[in-house]
Amino acid sequence: MADSDDYASLDHVEMTVRELLTEMKDTSEVIVDLAYAALMYNSEDMAEKVNELEKEMDDLKFAIRFKVLMSSRTKEDAKQLSGLLQVASAADKISDSAADIVDLLDLPLERRPFVSAMLYESDEKIRTTRIRPESSIIGYTIGKLGIEASTGCRIIALKNRQGWIYDPEDDVKIRAGDDIIVRGTEDGYKQLVEYATGRKPWEFPEISEDDEVTPQEEAASINDAEEEDG
Amino acid sequence: MNGLEEMLLELKDTSEFMVDLAYSSLIYDNEEIAQEVIFLADTMEELSARIQDTVIEIGMNKPEEIARIVVATRLQTSIMSIAEAAKSIADVVLRGLGKHPVIAMSIKESETTISLAKVTDDSVLCGKTFGEARLSTQCGMFVIAVKRNREYIFGPGKTMMIEAGDILIAKGPEDGVSCFKDLADGTDKELSF
Repeated sequence: MADSDDYASLDHVEMTVRELLTEMKDTSEVIVDLAYAALMYNSEDMAEKVNELEKEMDDLKFAIRFKVLMSSRTKEDAKQLSGLLQVASAADKISDSAADIVDLLDLPLERRPFVSAMLYESDEKIRTTRIRPESSIIGYTIGKLGIEASTGCRIIALKNRQGWIYDPEDDVKIRAGDDIIVRGTEDGYKQLVEYATGRKPWEFPEISEDDEVTPQEEAASINDAEEEDG
Repeated sequence: MNGLEEMLLELKDTSEFMVDLAYSSLIYDNEEIAQEVIFLADTMEELSARIQDTVIEIGMNKPEEIARIVVATRLQTSIMSIAEAAKSIADVVLRGLGKHPVIAMSIKESETTISLAKVTDDSVLCGKTFGEARLSTQCGMFVIAVKRNREYIFGPGKTMMIEAGDILIAKGPEDGVSCFKDLADGTDKELSF
């Protein structure tokens, strides 16, 4: 039996397995984007954030192993939970690779001349834009706007008056003059720029995130709305 | 860009696509999507071997390019290890170990999802370019790749024509999926502009 001291020595052990896995999956996605962005923009700060996230990922990995092993009671449990642990390991492996990628920053810039130009041509673009004072997204949080859902662009970093925030949470507010680094398709990026410059007003998703609705209900209500429009 | 950089970029783009697909295969516990990841892993192996040949070629002929070679090789190693991670996620699904409800719930919490849809003969998308179809405006879904005759075309341009039999792979919010699928399979015949 683990006594309370042993238990407390593990970080994140208060989180549920579900929360841990969600966190690991999300981190595994954003960390790779951040790593490439660090190379593209030759940013030590971003690289540091990547290393921080990678260490965090190690802690999450131990916490999830611990919790999963504690909860396994039967052969069937063990079978299904082994799949879950495999996913967690994969997410961790991705973050290790991201950390390896930013290690390339240790080389002087002239030794890696082609990397920035190459990454600029990626299918999924990493791009920057500035929020203009005329933009209608000012004053709203990233979560309220649902920027990723509407434009397919994920904000991987944001610079405001306080400095850089990497992998900003949903409760971060967009302010005039903020610089954001996003990752998404060319199309989505163009849409986002329209909103950021105020050339187009933001369209809020019809369903508020606070409402408890199933995806099916959501889909149905959106279909209804479309029929009314037509 | 020259050959080496182009190949590296394709390797990188494919690895990210594999990760997206692998997580999606978990959400839907879908073996078909998981198989795509395995298929892509094989194409990655081939591409990786070609990159290695090119790098050796450059190294033997132009020793002054050594920095480029080192950087390319290190990037290649990291990218391949991301691809392996994606493969091991798909493997969970293929072994039937992806059924624990916590897995789908955890992965689903993100804002966007990936959806695959095959374009049928009577789909309204058939014969239209991506610029004309404007799927991102219609459904909020962004097409990130098209699978045509076992070949993947990543980041299709506005002028690319959609053909019957194409499998469109799109990223977007969960509530855009049904709109996207209905347009592709001919259930919904109206493009609203």
